Amino acid sequence: MRLLLFATLLVLWIQPVEAQEPEEENEPEFVTQKLDEVIVSATRTVRQLSSLPLPAQIIKKNEIVNINAMRLSELLNEQTGLVTVPDFGGGEGIQLQGLDSQYTLILVDGVPLIGRSAGTLDLNRVSLGNVKSIEIVKGASSSLYGSEALGGVINIITENPKTGLGGYLNHRSGTFNTNDTGLNLDYKKEKFGITGFVNRYETDGYDLNSDDPLNTVDSYENYTLTTKIKYDLDEDTELIASGRYFTQDQNTIALEEFNGESSINEWNTRLFGQHEFNSKWSSALELYGSGYRASELLVDQEGDPVTESEFDQLLIRPELRSTFSPDEKTEITGGLGMNHETLDRSDFSSKPIFNSPYIFLQYDKTFNEKFNLILGARFDAHSEYKSQFSPKVAMRYDLGRNLAVKGSVGYGFKAPDFRQLYFNFSNGVIGYTILGYNAVSVVLPQLEEQGQIANILVPLSEFDGQLSPENSVAVNLGFDYKIDRSWTFGINLFRNSIDDLIDTRIVANKTNGQNVFSYYNIKEVYTQGLEYNMSWRPNPNLNISAGYQLLYAKDKEAERAFENGDVYARESPSSPAFQLDESDYFGLFNRSRHMANIGLFYNYPKWKANANLRATYRSRFGLVDSNGNSYLDEYDEFVDGYAIVDIAINKTIFKNYELGVGMDNVLDFTDPQNLTNIPGRLIYGTLSIKF
Amino acid sequence: MKTIKSLILLCLVMLTFNACSDDDGGNNVLQVEVDTVANLFAPQTGGQGQPISGEFTKFDFSTGAVTTSTTEWDIAFRGTSIIVNGGASLGTQDEPERTGNGGAYIATGTMSSIAAADANLVVQDSDQGYAIPLGSGNGWYNYNPQAHTIEPIPGRIIVIRTRDGKYAKFEILSYYKDAPEEITAEIAAQDLRYYTFNYVYQPNEGETTFE
Repeated sequence: MRLLLFATLLVLWIQPVEAQEPEEENEPEFVTQKLDEVIVSATRTVRQLSSLPLPAQIIKKNEIVNINAMRLSELLNEQTGLVTVPDFGGGEGIQLQGLDSQYTLILVDGVPLIGRSAGTLDLNRVSLGNVKSIEIVKGASSSLYGSEALGGVINIITENPKTGLGGYLNHRSGTFNTNDTGLNLDYKKEKFGITGFVNRYETDGYDLNSDDPLNTVDSYENYTLTTKIKYDLDEDTELIASGRYFTQDQNTIALEEFNGESSINEWNTRLFGQHEFNSKWSSALELYGSGYRASELLVDQEGDPVTESEFDQLLIRPELRSTFSPDEKTEITGGLGMNHETLDRSDFSSKPIFNSPYIFLQYDKTFNEKFNLILGARFDAHSEYKSQFSPKVAMRYDLGRNLAVKGSVGYGFKAPDFRQLYFNFSNGVIGYTILGYNAVSVVLPQLEEQGQIANILVPLSEFDGQLSPENSVAVNLGFDYKIDRSWTFGINLFRNSIDDLIDTRIVANKTNGQNVFSYYNIKEVYTQGLEYNMSWRPNPNLNISAGYQLLYAKDKEAERAFENGDVYARESPSSPAFQLDESDYFGLFNRSRHMANIGLFYNYPKWKANANLRATYRSRFGLVDSNGNSYLDEYDEFVDGYAIVDIAINKTIFKNYELGVGMDNVLDFTDPQNLTNIPGRLIYGTLSIKF
Repeated sequence: MKTIKSLILLCLVMLTFNACSDDDGGNNVLQVEVDTVANLFAPQTGGQGQPISGEFTKFDFSTGAVTTSTTEWDIAFRGTSIIVNGGASLGTQDEPERTGNGGAYIATGTMSSIAAADANLVVQDSDQGYAIPLGSGNGWYNYNPQAHTIEPIPGRIIVIRTRDGKYAKFEILSYYKDAPEEITAEIAAQDLRYYTFNYVYQPNEGETTFE
């Protein structure tokens, strides 16, 4: 009994993850600000950024406001090594260190967003109107967050209530009749604080290709409502209740004969309480729930439904965290929790329920001022796939006052998604069938009974086991260098070796000449490269930043095939094939070897104005194998490299009003065929009122 | 010196031998035949979720032409399916009876690098699958689900044992009419199932080389 009590206590201690307070909204001097900057996503504790052994970055409110960004996708696109990639469904996901969007965990105030209907989490869903900062941690972080944090973590930190009653109204209007209106209200008195945020976003969408009856992006509108209530029970105890609701409607014209409607409804609630027992111990209890429901309906001219699809996901997660700090240089954090997830979806063999209890522990210690060590591990048990143990080690050593070396090795995983386990889909037009791993042993015999199967190529016994999560080992090695107060450099070498990547294969031939596909673990890929960041502040009002990422993202099996001389190409359909060698292999699809960005931010206090010019560049990449050998090689057609240039000018008038104008994509770059997420030049104006 | 002498001797022997055979008029060494077949039309009915049916378009390497003979054919095409005149039916509708001893395998290489057939690799059609496997990526083509195009996989050379035990190899160049440079959506929808392929046929029985 005593032991049990002790164990409970051991877990019941924690540390205020919420408390990244020092609310210095007005930017203090550059150097002090750098030192004071804290990050909560890297360790799940309030942690000084400048001494962190991990590659991490914070985008502050300032930047978000100055570039007049409305949606998360716009902002992330401008960060080094990040690029948003359009998805078939019209969503935009993030590619980080060359890893697809399903491998980056997106959090709001430390809890995950759900609703990846096709693997991608659409970043256009996230309004920036109530965002205080955004933290980006690169490298596998499954030791703290479990599934999905294979490539990294992006945490959106929302505003907290500030003393008194305050409000902020912001409106942006621009090309394509795109209007974004947000209202923030907050109130705080003594122990009680509350924030409320309402945002409406509407756009007419755009059409990059007028030859067909379809729009590239159809018009849509959405609303975001959030609230956060904070109550300090006493000096050591804090309670937070927060909620978010998002709803979006879109009318689509799928073909001339059809009309479609799609809607998304999403809610998130979070109850959080923490208590500091003494200067060494604190604990937090968090209950998080989120639901995501997307439905699509396609009707013909008579209004009869042609296709209907539903996606209804629910996540409930209680979590208990504790932190123990025996001294100022040591922090031990632990937690345990449980993910309960369900999904109701069209074309599924059953209504799946996932239950996954987990436990994690982290040790963060600084030795003699110069050496920092973080050890962490997490164990995720799971009802539907193999349990995962995710360790991580990170170190930082100060070589001098201006130079530090940091390195980390971590394990990351991504659980098979519902689709990969339970999909049961037959294409009505072509006639092929896709089955989730767990659906095969149920559905395939049914198809066989119906006489649809010609022969089974993979024995059913292979589906008795469990599909393994995709997993990776991430290695990051970097240097931070400060020439003086105004110059900083950072360089980071990374390698993500991913194993058990889930791919599809043919498991049976159908009598109609088509195939039955299912998922299996096979592929090994890696992404490796170098990231370089530089910031220069020649005077307090001018900041110049630049970043670059070099990336090699390759499939190991493909590399072997090229090495063995098994890959051929032909230059035109009527010319004979010739053999390719290793140097002809480009790598994975949709990866650019070079990405670069530069930003000039200028502040002119005399006029209470600021201006900025930003540019991003992405080198050529391949989207399809155009010569039929299934690999992306130098003889395929590539999408040309491109640059996007944005400018913005803002001016404060009468103290509380701010006017802004700007132009996104000044060069009016478009590529209707390949880049449906780039709409061309956008001109806009903004007005904000503080009260 | 001795080697040269033996070489000369060998040449002489060979010459005599050849001459003799020519005289006999029996063991003629025939030239390998190299040709291109354009727009071999291989229609099918069904597909797209329905059972596939329709006559196969048969091809005879010895004549280098399409044939309707029920016995004198080596390979036959229907949509993306290619069957050989040897083995058993997979059981789809309208499959012709296999009367010969044909077979096939898929080699990786170029037309020039596959210098000889490997008799050990030859398999026949069966109720478990065709010698030239069906499906995208398995056999001779890749299907691009976005563009709905069928593209021959470069480097796939299909080696054939004909119905009467001779060897041939062929490389499919296009599945579309007149082997267009670019397969537009219109072509992909309308001008499909027209095979263009290069082939080499070794008419000498028992001879596996293609030189």
